[in-house]
Amino acid sequence: MTTTALSRPTTTPRPRGATLAGTGTLLRFMLRRDRFRLPAWTLGLALLMTYFATALDSMVSSPSDLEGLTAFTGSPAGALFGGPGFGFDDLTVERFLAGQYGLYVAIGAGLMGLLTVVRHTRAEERSGRAELVRANAVGRHAQLTAALILTVVMSVVIAVLIGAVMADRGYDTAGSLLFGASVGAVGLAFAGIAAVTVQLSEYPRAASGTAGALLGAAFVLRGLGDMAAVQGSGPSWLSWLSPIGWSQQTAPYVLDRWWPLALSLAFAAAATAVAYTLSGRRDLGAGLLPPRPGPPRAAAWLAGPFTLALRLHRANLIGWSAALIAAGLAYGSFTQPLIDGFADAPDDMVAVMGGRDNMLAGYLGVMALTMALAVAVYAVLAAHLLRTEETDGRTEPVLATGVSRPAWLGGHVAVVAAGVPWLLLVAGLGMGIGTAASTGDAGLAGDVLLGHLAFTPAVWLVLSAAALLYAAVPRWLPVIWVAPAWGLVAGYFAPVLDLPGSLVRLSPFEHIGRYPLERISVVAILVLTLLTGVLTWTAVTVFQRRDVTGGS
Amino acid sequence: MNAAIDIHHIEKSFGRVKALDGLDLSVEPGTVHGFLGPNGAGKSTTIRILLGLLRADAGQARLFGGDPWADAVALHRRLAYVPGDVVLWPNLTGGEAIDLFTRLRGGADPARRDELCQRFDLDPSKKGRTYSKGNRQKVALIAALAADVELLLLDEPTAGLDPLMEAVFQECIREAKESGRTVLLSSHVLAQVEVLADRISIIRQGRIVETGSLTDLRHLTRTTVDAVTDRPADTLAGLPGVHGLEAADGHVRFEVDGDHLAAVVRRLGDLDVHALTVRPPTLEQLLLRHYGDQAVHSGATVAA
Ligand SMILES: Nc1ncnc2c1ncn2[C@@H]1O[C@H](COP(=O)(O)OP(=O)(O)O)[C@@H](O)[C@H]1O
Ligand SMILES: [Mg+2]
Repeated sequence: MTTTALSRPTTTPRPRGATLAGTGTLLRFMLRRDRFRLPAWTLGLALLMTYFATALDSMVSSPSDLEGLTAFTGSPAGALFGGPGFGFDDLTVERFLAGQYGLYVAIGAGLMGLLTVVRHTRAEERSGRAELVRANAVGRHAQLTAALILTVVMSVVIAVLIGAVMADRGYDTAGSLLFGASVGAVGLAFAGIAAVTVQLSEYPRAASGTAGALLGAAFVLRGLGDMAAVQGSGPSWLSWLSPIGWSQQTAPYVLDRWWPLALSLAFAAAATAVAYTLSGRRDLGAGLLPPRPGPPRAAAWLAGPFTLALRLHRANLIGWSAALIAAGLAYGSFTQPLIDGFADAPDDMVAVMGGRDNMLAGYLGVMALTMALAVAVYAVLAAHLLRTEETDGRTEPVLATGVSRPAWLGGHVAVVAAGVPWLLLVAGLGMGIGTAASTGDAGLAGDVLLGHLAFTPAVWLVLSAAALLYAAVPRWLPVIWVAPAWGLVAGYFAPVLDLPGSLVRLSPFEHIGRYPLERISVVAILVLTLLTGVLTWTAVTVFQRRDVTGGS
Repeated sequence: MNAAIDIHHIEKSFGRVKALDGLDLSVEPGTVHGFLGPNGAGKSTTIRILLGLLRADAGQARLFGGDPWADAVALHRRLAYVPGDVVLWPNLTGGEAIDLFTRLRGGADPARRDELCQRFDLDPSKKGRTYSKGNRQKVALIAALAADVELLLLDEPTAGLDPLMEAVFQECIREAKESGRTVLLSSHVLAQVEVLADRISIIRQGRIVETGSLTDLRHLTRTTVDAVTDRPADTLAGLPGVHGLEAADGHVRFEVDGDHLAAVVRRLGDLDVHALTVRPPTLEQLLLRHYGDQAVHSGATVAA
């Protein structure tokens, strides 16, 4: 009992790693907190890869089936949503898996990396728990370091699991390991990016939002670069500006080169170094930018549930508008090079995009769907804002005033519902202007705009379903992510995965019609709008029946 | 006259936790009613039921004679609420939040709002995220006090305020009472409620265990007295209402029941007092003595 006291040194020399003190303890604690989350992410991504592989195996029974795949994936549109297509002229199943589906597993790894870092750093600071932790013998950099180590562990686990899954299917072992490593590398790169973004803002959502936007930018950059690479002209170097691009440039099962991953590692290391520097310059809980005073009085218009909701969603709507117009301009300006790339393509290849005469319309239709899915993601995130308002305790005092529950919920839903056609309009404008400039045909802009706006009721339906989930069982709100996720699978992969039509039709996005390639279905628009009305009405009614929980 | 708040035997459970277990409460119009209980006793739950945010499992709650669940909006126009833990919008300033709340309640006199900001020494141009707990509480208090309403529901409103601001708060509540408003003031500190309340109800484990005016409750409270006297004070031990007297070297320490305090102090004066410390009773002492130990530590009961 007393020996411990005796053995304590009388003067404590300042240990060299003082800023890292407690990292090990924190890491163990994080592992314990993430005991379900860690296996869910890592096994989930490995399972997704297994699913893709099994689905593809069941489809491809002969070399001619593989040739059919080449037609789509070798095209610029295939490059945009897949990759640069290494070795697709001599296609094998594993090359197709790595070259076309690898992208989505890599995006998943990127999301995992950035969300993990935000969860264990800025989110902890915001909640005030970090203050409790740091008051103990814990160094200034311990929390960030432990979070990064945790993310490295998760990335390595993913790399090994995916490598093992692929090797186990009988694909080349070296290629499989490289493929796994390239997926894990994306996780590391975006952990690095998130380590920086968490230093900038006080809000976890802003930190993950910024990092997520950069993930989107990385996707777009490599998409443009890969399209250029596939058609042999244009700025193919754009792919080299993207952390996802570096992973794809390893060309597993084809060139099997490891060196692009050195770029990923160097990037992650550099970002981490920046993060440590920034973190040393700021106070706990604070962002890098000092808070500014605001108006001491509320503007006259800020006076009711609708305007309050507008004020709360305003910043997000502005951010999304900027991102969507930029993405629209980028993809729109690629229209002509894309068509040119197809000029000499064989007929069966062209048929996939709707035939030689419909190439242009096919591309514009796919882009309208893509933007609609992006706006659906906005709507789902906005619905989550509602739930945060309640769990943080800000809904309670508002409902304690003269604001009724239907007015509160209705105000939020109305603002987001109005934001949906607005964002589609903005995206369509960007895409339309880009297309008109690129093709020299100004008349296309109107078609593009119409094609985008037509998806409004499909996104509305997702929004109203989210509102209903929130109103009835708020804990289950995250389930709504199934809607945009299924919209993506059904929209892009239905032909490749050979999904039955009944499953495809479950996605509200499959009923509208991809204008200008297909006709817009007025019936679908009416039915989806009607359904939206019914779901919203149900949500408002159900919301009057349950307890509203406070923050404490 | 009808009671402003009238609660009959309400019950409320959260899963297996029974937060309210047959609670009765009645508040007369124009009075300040202290709602006193340890943490977790069910004070906030009661107030949330009065606001129609939670629905009682059983029993009946009436606010101005109306049903707080069914007529929530109409009733809310006549009251203002300050939550126990005030959370503001991070990117709205305190001033914006005050204006927003008063407008959502039907408007307030801007001059009154500015006067309150000054009295509470609040800078309304700061963003919500930069306020301390006490300042967030001031924002909610100002929004509530600026409104022209009949009833104030205040859930531990002074928990984050410093003594100076607590004095301002007490002044404001007295003014509210003078202008005929009704106040329900919850707290876990007896002294805070004592100075303001006309009547007090003590809640413990989801039930009201005592209710009455301060004088009615005097017999429950004990004041602690420390004194240094020239003449021996042992004789005080024999007086009615004196408990646990210890005397040594001219130093005496004892507890005295609230309703016998006057007589004991008179006798103490005759003993040539040099130094005197009197500590007011605390809720914890009261509950400990009358309801045993666990009352203080475990608020709600968990059903088996
Ligand atoms: N939303 C809730 N979910 C589960 N338990 C709750 C909830 N709200 C309150 N409780 C429980 O009900 C009891 C009473 O809580 P509360 O009314 O907040 O007490 P007080 O305000 O007196 O401190 C506590 O045991 C608390 O844990
Ligand atoms: Mg409480």
